[in-house]
Amino acid sequence: MSDDFSDEYMDDDYEDFEYSDDESAISVGSSSEQGHSSAMAATAASQGQPGALSQSQVQNSADLGYGDDDDFDAGDDVDFVRAIGASRGRKSWEVDFKVCDADSLRAIQTAAIDSIEPVLSVSRESTTLLLRCYAWKEEPLVEDFLADPDRTLAKFGLSSRAAAPCIGSGDNEFTCEICYTSGADEKYLGLACGHRFCIDCYLMYTSGKIREGESWRIRCPAPKCKMLLGEEAARLILSTSKDVLHRYEDNLMRSFVGDIDSLTWCPAPNCQYAVQCLVPRSAMATVISVVRCKCGNAFCFSCKEGDHLPAPCSLVKKWLQKCKDDSETSNWLKANTKECSKCKSTIEKNGGCNHMICRECHFEFCWVCMGPWNEHGQQFYNCNRFNEDSSKNARDALSKSRAQLERYLHYFTRYNNHEQSVKLARKLLATTEKNMELLQRETTLSWIEVQFLSDAVDVLSVCRTTLKWSYVLAYYMLSDNQKTIFENNQSDLEMATEQLNELVENPIGQSSIEDIKRKIIDKSTYVKARWETLLSDTSLGLQENRWQFED
Amino acid sequence: MSMASKRILKEAERLAKDPVPGITAEPIEGNMRYFSVAMNGPEESPYANGRFKLELYLPEEYPMSPPKVRFLTKMYHPNIDKLGRICLDILKDKWSPALQIRTVLLSIQALLSAPNPDDPLANDVADQWKSDEKRAIQTAIEWTRLYAEPLP
Repeated sequence: MSDDFSDEYMDDDYEDFEYSDDESAISVGSSSEQGHSSAMAATAASQGQPGALSQSQVQNSADLGYGDDDDFDAGDDVDFVRAIGASRGRKSWEVDFKVCDADSLRAIQTAAIDSIEPVLSVSRESTTLLLRCYAWKEEPLVEDFLADPDRTLAKFGLSSRAAAPCIGSGDNEFTCEICYTSGADEKYLGLACGHRFCIDCYLMYTSGKIREGESWRIRCPAPKCKMLLGEEAARLILSTSKDVLHRYEDNLMRSFVGDIDSLTWCPAPNCQYAVQCLVPRSAMATVISVVRCKCGNAFCFSCKEGDHLPAPCSLVKKWLQKCKDDSETSNWLKANTKECSKCKSTIEKNGGCNHMICRECHFEFCWVCMGPWNEHGQQFYNCNRFNEDSSKNARDALSKSRAQLERYLHYFTRYNNHEQSVKLARKLLATTEKNMELLQRETTLSWIEVQFLSDAVDVLSVCRTTLKWSYVLAYYMLSDNQKTIFENNQSDLEMATEQLNELVENPIGQSSIEDIKRKIIDKSTYVKARWETLLSDTSLGLQENRWQFED
Repeated sequence: MSMASKRILKEAERLAKDPVPGITAEPIEGNMRYFSVAMNGPEESPYANGRFKLELYLPEEYPMSPPKVRFLTKMYHPNIDKLGRICLDILKDKWSPALQIRTVLLSIQALLSAPNPDDPLANDVADQWKSDEKRAIQTAIEWTRLYAEPLP
């Protein structure tokens, strides 16, 4: 499938390597031909995220490219430098990224805590909690903390004199306010806030929250108490429930990866890896960040869809939504759900008022206008007016979409055709493998020498995937000379791809094998060249804002 | 006996022995998780002189999950919708297992004294409340007279 082809490209252009002695993460990076890679790195670093801190190793590649990038320490990672030195320049549509396993994620986290601990000089537990509260953004944390350390701590129920959580018993005066059991026999846990509850209730309370996906946001169960339940306390409570403890640690890591802009989980089912990508969120509108996880899954870092080069995420999303629009489910979703304006989680409102709190990212917003809740204040009822306008707009859009249906179908048939062909390519691969065996038996060619056939099928898959998405790009592109150039590139690639497809599918044996081999290899090379042309042209075009898109 | 049922029994006991002034909460026969509640409208509020019926249900997860409470009497209040559902933080994300039926009922009573139209559940009511508070209060008084049980 498409992945294999990209593999080949990557093997050409990248070197996989272990980038440090103590971490098993694989880094795929390369020196950049263009200035923006360095700019991205600097932006990431200036955001003060741990992602940025640990990027120094990866970004050594940038050092090699520019030589004067003081932000990053080239260090003594000789292996890394050698590996990078061996790789060629990054293509304009490729992005730097690194695959992280649990250990390297922990290392990134530890590095973030280590770097800020001396600045705050509070306990490591408090440092960690503060970082979590500030979504691992060091700058605002340090700013707030230096301005008023006690207030910053108190905001999250912390204190510089906080006592460690402890388990106790033997207090006749003790009554658990949750189960109303009292007496000296009761084992209780007390946090630094002074509230004590029996250990059984604590276990039940904490497990419930953890099952809901919570981790560090769990608070002391006392009403209105802001004290956060730190990792230390959680470990005391969960010492007998290893499963829950495991889930807790999982949730913590999930929340960490979710908070860091430069990290995301690989969306493949059961994949344990996260990917670190250095393209800043602000650039994601014009840079399509297709990354490849160690598990083999290639996906877009920004929207988590599969490889959708050359169409940008916004168009992909619009397109997929459009394609689904006929189904009952999407109608229902459209009618009954909205997306959190911050994290894009789909939300169904099943009760309560318009003051919404997103379960995923805890963003507070208004259900009517989707704007942040804290901006509402006294002007809440602007929302009603806004709503009337938008429903009028919705009606207008409906009549327009009728007229556009025909145009849509033109692009959709082509999009769909390539999608089907990608699926058929899998079948083609099976036939090809048979043909390869046949070739080996009937000719003097070795296994290596007949690889050209399966290589050609890989090329086909990748090109069809790209062609598929190129129709999405074309659908939303407004007609002008620039679009004509794009469509010429597209039709060149499409024609070449179809020709290659025919060559590969043709039964072998009609003409001499050497002849066919030469033809297929030539055509594959040509198709690859057309593919590269299309991708580099579109990636540059998007960055240069060369095309106009419909809204 | 499970921790939850022990706690529910204790709470019911305490509610019976030391009732909240102006509020009665009695478990209905055969179901110790279902309470029938009656609440006096707070004085100095549009709900004064009325007695309002509520139902309170303790879900399986109680006290880890909040009780489910609903007005059975029709209410004109920006934070109570026409099904009687109540928008109150401690019944949602601010719930703490150390809160009790008693504290919940007191909070609801306080909500009657201090409507919060900035965080509305019933949009039309809240709208009215913000544009013409006097008239809204008049309507609330009218509804109390029409639907609530009059206090002696």
